[in-house]
Amino acid sequence: MFLAVLTPKDSGEVSPDAMLVHQLLQRDVDAFEQLYDRHSRIVYALVLRIVQQASTAEEVVQDVFLQLWRNARRYDARRGPFVPWLMAVARNRALDHLRLKSERQRRREDQSEELPPVFDSPQFEKALDEKRRAERVRAVMSSLNPQQKKAIELAYFEGLSHTEIAETLKEPLGTIKSWIRNGLLRLKEGLRATT
Amino acid sequence: MSNCGQFRELTEAYALGVLDAEERTAFEAHLATGCKDCAQAVEEARWLVNQLAYLAPNAAPSDMLKARLMQSVRAEARAAQGSVEPKASIPFWMWAGVAALLVLTVYSAWDARRLQKEIQTVNQRAAAEFKQREQLQQELAAAKRQAHILTDANSRKFAMWPHDTQMPKLEAMWHPELGICVMGEKVPMPASNHALQLWLIPKAPGSKPTPSLTFWPDAEGKLVLMVENPPDVMADTKALAITEEPTGGSAQPTSTLMWVGGIS
Repeated sequence: MFLAVLTPKDSGEVSPDAMLVHQLLQRDVDAFEQLYDRHSRIVYALVLRIVQQASTAEEVVQDVFLQLWRNARRYDARRGPFVPWLMAVARNRALDHLRLKSERQRRREDQSEELPPVFDSPQFEKALDEKRRAERVRAVMSSLNPQQKKAIELAYFEGLSHTEIAETLKEPLGTIKSWIRNGLLRLKEGLRATT
Repeated sequence: MSNCGQFRELTEAYALGVLDAEERTAFEAHLATGCKDCAQAVEEARWLVNQLAYLAPNAAPSDMLKARLMQSVRAEARAAQGSVEPKASIPFWMWAGVAALLVLTVYSAWDARRLQKEIQTVNQRAAAEFKQREQLQQELAAAKRQAHILTDANSRKFAMWPHDTQMPKLEAMWHPELGICVMGEKVPMPASNHALQLWLIPKAPGSKPTPSLTFWPDAEGKLVLMVENPPDVMADTKALAITEEPTGGSAQPTSTLMWVGGIS
């Protein structure tokens, strides 16, 4: 049972993150500190990009890691790797904060306390380190039409919908949908080519 | 499966969270049918969307954040541990220390009380000795004054004769600056609640006697009376007299003059 919980799908290895998260269930403070040291920078960078204010970003990051400490059982290592799940938690928290702050209670209003599902990595994904992964993502996104890149960023970092992005960029709704989907598919191909 | 193609185009947008409410509801309804292909596509799309996080500029949180966070987590861990584990027993050496402290405290309290009593006794003794010393000093001063009155050439000596011939004669000495000294032997003790009182009889005709001290002879009948500050001066005084008056004295004689001595 122990190995089943820790072992990611289609892999015989137990990831260090999965092991540390499992230790959190035993209220292991050292394991928590290690997880924080491993991932706090990327989590903070993402949250700061969304909320645009350092003090607020720290507040949100604190919430994210406290949520991890208190709800570590919500992460199921059998369903996927830890980092993407943690990033999804952080993004949701930051966007919730942004929406609450601007009082724009929109479509995700009823999901503010929910944690995102754990999701698996695609078959082609290999263990790229953070630095190389960031370089690749930035390179692919820089190759996009600036408006296309802007549309994706408005969606990801500001949580806007298709319609809201169309209004913001003053472009037809169909164009926005097309830009976003094609941009993401190019990113996918770019990352696949890298690995 | 027949609808998959239609929904597959929405997969990335769904994972990104940009679908409008109507599209999102329709897509989730399709996923709820158990379409494994679309579910897997969504998982892959979520991973893909997650890569966008690397577009965020590099940044690092402050050390303060980690400190705050670790403080909260440690507090929660301690609280959880405290609610589950029994409290650690107090080691023997600590009990021994507590016992020693208790004994020391009791001894200190007892010793403090003992010292307090000793200090009180010493203080009382010192006060008594001081009082005795003062009395002796007063007696010594009186004796000196008396000796001075009795020996000084400026003193005037005169006899005080008894009204009752059975009574002894008294001797008086008056020094103009040091006062009056009256002495005698075998002087009878006045009645109960009474004392002897000295009077100064003025020369001025019609003047009333001036009251002075009240006194008693000692148990053997010896009398030594010192009046340091007589109420009148010798030049204006015709005679000294003694009567028996109620204790505390009287403003004017209430009984027969028992002794009278004229100042020549």
